[in-house]
Amino acid sequence: MNVLIVLTDYMMSSFGLAIVALTIVVNLAMYPLTMKQIHSTQALQSLQPKLLELQKKYAKDKQKLAQEQMRVYKESGVNPAGCLVPMLIQLPIWIALYQSIIRVLAWTPEDFLGLSQFLYSWPVVYSALPLAEKFLWFNLALPDTYLAVMVGATMWLQQKMSMPVASDPKQQTQGRMMLWTMPLMFFVLCLSFPSGLALFWVTSSVIRIIMQYLVSGWGGLVISKPEIKIRKPGQKKAALPEVATEADIVEPRSEAEKGLEYGESGGKRQDRGGGYSARLRAIRRQSGRGKDQRRKGR
Amino acid sequence: MQVERVVKTRLWLLLVGLVLMSLIVSGCATLGTQPKGWAGGEVTDETLFFGSVKGEVIALDASDGSRVWEAPLEAEKSEGGFGCTPVSTMVVIYGTPVLAGDSVYVGAYNGIVYAINASTGEARKFYPEEGKLEAVIGGLVEGSGKLYFGSVDGVVYALDVNTRDTVWRFPTGGKIWSTPAIDDDTLYVGSFDKRLYALNADDGSKHWEPFATEGAIVAAPVVYNNTIYFGSLDRYVYALEAATGALKWRFPAEKWFWTKVVAVDNLIYAPCLDGRVYVLNAETGAKVTEFDLGSPVSSSPVLVESLVIVATEEGRVYSLDTTSQKQRLLANIAELAGEALLIRSPLFASEGVVFV
Repeated sequence: MNVLIVLTDYMMSSFGLAIVALTIVVNLAMYPLTMKQIHSTQALQSLQPKLLELQKKYAKDKQKLAQEQMRVYKESGVNPAGCLVPMLIQLPIWIALYQSIIRVLAWTPEDFLGLSQFLYSWPVVYSALPLAEKFLWFNLALPDTYLAVMVGATMWLQQKMSMPVASDPKQQTQGRMMLWTMPLMFFVLCLSFPSGLALFWVTSSVIRIIMQYLVSGWGGLVISKPEIKIRKPGQKKAALPEVATEADIVEPRSEAEKGLEYGESGGKRQDRGGGYSARLRAIRRQSGRGKDQRRKGR
Repeated sequence: MQVERVVKTRLWLLLVGLVLMSLIVSGCATLGTQPKGWAGGEVTDETLFFGSVKGEVIALDASDGSRVWEAPLEAEKSEGGFGCTPVSTMVVIYGTPVLAGDSVYVGAYNGIVYAINASTGEARKFYPEEGKLEAVIGGLVEGSGKLYFGSVDGVVYALDVNTRDTVWRFPTGGKIWSTPAIDDDTLYVGSFDKRLYALNADDGSKHWEPFATEGAIVAAPVVYNNTIYFGSLDRYVYALEAATGALKWRFPAEKWFWTKVVAVDNLIYAPCLDGRVYVLNAETGAKVTEFDLGSPVSSSPVLVESLVIVATEEGRVYSLDTTSQKQRLLANIAELAGEALLIRSPLFASEGVVFV
């Protein structure tokens, strides 16, 4: 909190700029952890097809399934908790930052009076207070609708970029849920919370978008899902295109590349960057029907 | 497929649930503390007027403490983000009520100044005639038929008590939480722009150029022996020449000076949020002694004969003897109340009785 106040003094007495600067500094400090988390998440995502196969194979033998899953993790050098540990380490830091912003904003006289007990004896802290609440077009102590929209939008973008393209329909549904839940929740919260917090969330999301881009490019934003055509009542049944999305089929250019594509332990499985598993695709091709039609047929 | 559909339905229900929960959280909860107010009181020969944390101005019979009337201030509609919170009807009062003529005046956090008939307790909106100002946190002062106060909009207002007209307005560079002080024809008021202003009470013109400190000024100034004494959030107590605004001396402490000082017998008693009351020579600013009360002092002390009565935030009330410079614990309000509490309202006294 005191650092935030000092930063404000150095940022031309702009508390808004101080929030942005501190969010960037904290993110830079946690850069290695964040990258580790993103990489671990990606590695876990890449194992999903294999794990899905195992789930099907050992559906009735949970113990064996667990053993096999551990074997897969071990062989591929992926720690299933790898993406959680950095997140857990970061969590208290985020909470501290959040609390600091709330406290410094001190939007009631009681809050402002209580602030005095948390101040260090640095002279700059005392001369910087009270902080200017105006930043750009909004008051940092009051909610702002535009900023709330920005929070939702940037969170959605970040979620979309980091979202795995799951082959399992159940996972797809879960992914879609995650894609909308957090952005919607934060959008709604920002309609009531001080804009200072919204500014912190927007900045955090933008930084995470940049980091995610550095690791996986635009990720889920550009990889399209396999097209599922829904037939309207009365519409003629049209065969689904045999040509799958570009994420489905990647022709190996050389023998060496073939080896890389399939890996040592995997079966003859092509890159499945965004589509159904080869097995599911085969079923679809044979039946010539989409998911919804199959469901209707049952 | 049936299982998949069930899972899907459950997940979407969860999404809807989470969004609804965030709606409730955002609409029904607020960050930080809710404003409650810390209004003090005013005592006349017969009656005691004070603002309550329930948004009422209450009149008590000063002799026996019986309730004469209570005036709940005009209902204020404030809803949560999505209207799911119950409508609040409470007006929050921080400023101490002031008696002028046959009415008691009080500024409120909702930006309205109320006038309450001192005999009947009938409350009415006094200013502004339409709409509202930004929050009024400091108290009002009365002088020569005018009411003076500052608002969070940074403006000092002078109103005609009889006509409700705005006599003059003076904009400062920051919010005003400080109660002004009036002496002769000059009004002194501190602002969040870190300056103390001396204004001509008749027309609002500057008496001298504002005196700049390094912190916001919340404490009300005190005029004593042609000198203005006030504390600032830069952790200094200042003494200025009333005629020129020139600095006589300043005294440093550990934390903010939030409340006004008491001047008596050429001594200044300056309570501080560091839990001490500093006793300073009024002429030189030299420290005579200090009392360590162990808890921040944010309520204004009061002088009763030769005793300065001070209350700490934790609820202990002390008397500081201005002749022997000894402190004595008078009461532990928290103990009496049987619960933890915070004392932030200014103390006031009448005929040897102190009101907390």
